[in-house]
Amino acid sequence: MKFSSNKQRIFLDPSSGELIRIVKGKKVDIILSPSMYWVKKISLPVKSVREVKKLLPSIFEDSLPVGHYSYYAYKSEDEFIAFAYEDKKILEAIQKAGIATAQVGAIYFAQSEFEGIKTVVQVSETTGLYVKDKLLLLAPITWFKESEKLSFDGLKLSKHRIHLQQYGHIIDPKSLYKIGIVLSLFALILGGELFIAKSKLQDIEAKKEEIFSKYKLQSSTLQNEASLKKYTKIYTTQIKLRKYLSLFLKLHLKEGQKIVLIDYKNRILSITIGGVKKGMGESIVSMLKREKVEHKVSFHSESMKVEIKL
Amino acid sequence: MNQINPLQIGGLLLVVILFLFFKLSAVQNEIVEADQSFKKSEKLALDVSALKNIYADKKRTQKRLQKIFSNRKLHTANLKIKEQKKLLKVSSESIDTSALNYLMGKILNDSYNITTLKIKQLSKEKASLEMEIKW
Repeated sequence: MKFSSNKQRIFLDPSSGELIRIVKGKKVDIILSPSMYWVKKISLPVKSVREVKKLLPSIFEDSLPVGHYSYYAYKSEDEFIAFAYEDKKILEAIQKAGIATAQVGAIYFAQSEFEGIKTVVQVSETTGLYVKDKLLLLAPITWFKESEKLSFDGLKLSKHRIHLQQYGHIIDPKSLYKIGIVLSLFALILGGELFIAKSKLQDIEAKKEEIFSKYKLQSSTLQNEASLKKYTKIYTTQIKLRKYLSLFLKLHLKEGQKIVLIDYKNRILSITIGGVKKGMGESIVSMLKREKVEHKVSFHSESMKVEIKL
Repeated sequence: MNQINPLQIGGLLLVVILFLFFKLSAVQNEIVEADQSFKKSEKLALDVSALKNIYADKKRTQKRLQKIFSNRKLHTANLKIKEQKKLLKVSSESIDTSALNYLMGKILNDSYNITTLKIKQLSKEKASLEMEIKW
């Protein structure tokens, strides 16, 4: 293993985890050992890799042990090279190798990076890589008489990199997207509702400010409340004045009795009825009581004076 | 490979949703309060406006009273009418009862702010009158 100037490159195999020396704080490009993925060379009557990717779960269905797999494929001449891998297992191997997830740069398959090797490349004390029928295989080094040591010098990494689903084993990414979309939509709807509600609030406040000018009133609520109090008092006083006057004008007076004076000033209404001696005005008093009118009665010679405060 | 935990994203979305929900709830409460306040102000404005139109509209009061005073039934009443800035004084030293009935019928059946009223019987057919109407 050698280091490039900007990034460290490593060949990751579960068996070699403890042997890797990681430079702290430096990004690490990882090349996955064939023992960490499943690979197939396939010929399909489709043109794009995108279409192939859709078919990969069914292509690998019968050959994979039970697990949660992700898939990748790229075109190589007339054929497609397809991969199946378990994110969780790769992540575990990365962790075991002492690489922090923040350090991980890009992740490649050994297949795509070493498919051009002509000889056997020794990647650990016991294993080596070799190519057979365009597929890169891992085998015991004892199978081979000659081998070269693994070197990244002059190795140009391909564009075939994968992105691991760190939480793919917890929740299916598709379900995650669906939940995310639903929650985002819900948040958007709430945001929209909030916007509409705020506009409505502003409208109401603007209407409230306009209302007094619309009716040509004073600008403040306090001033208008004082006006309302003043005019309500006038209104109730005038209603009472008319009601009490009406009571007296409709009153059936006895013979010789007559209203001689109606006097209203400073909210006191006084009615003087002539021809009523003291003790003879019961019918008038009982009428006032019946109508629940608070009053004062006084007699002067042959006249009765009723005072009512409005 | 710095992937964010989907649970963190979900949690963040839930926090955003909760924040929006509480914010919306607060704004809706503000709308209810603002609406109540607006209705209260509207009622206040309508009431003040209606009462002012009745008791503080000088032109309206002048016009209506002028119509009453110009009626031929009051031609013999010798009414003395004195207009001041804030009130109108009507008086008659001797008014016959039919004219008085007509005048008081018209005044009491309409909305005027009568501040002073004095009707004194002089004889069976005659009375004196003093009245002040404020505008």
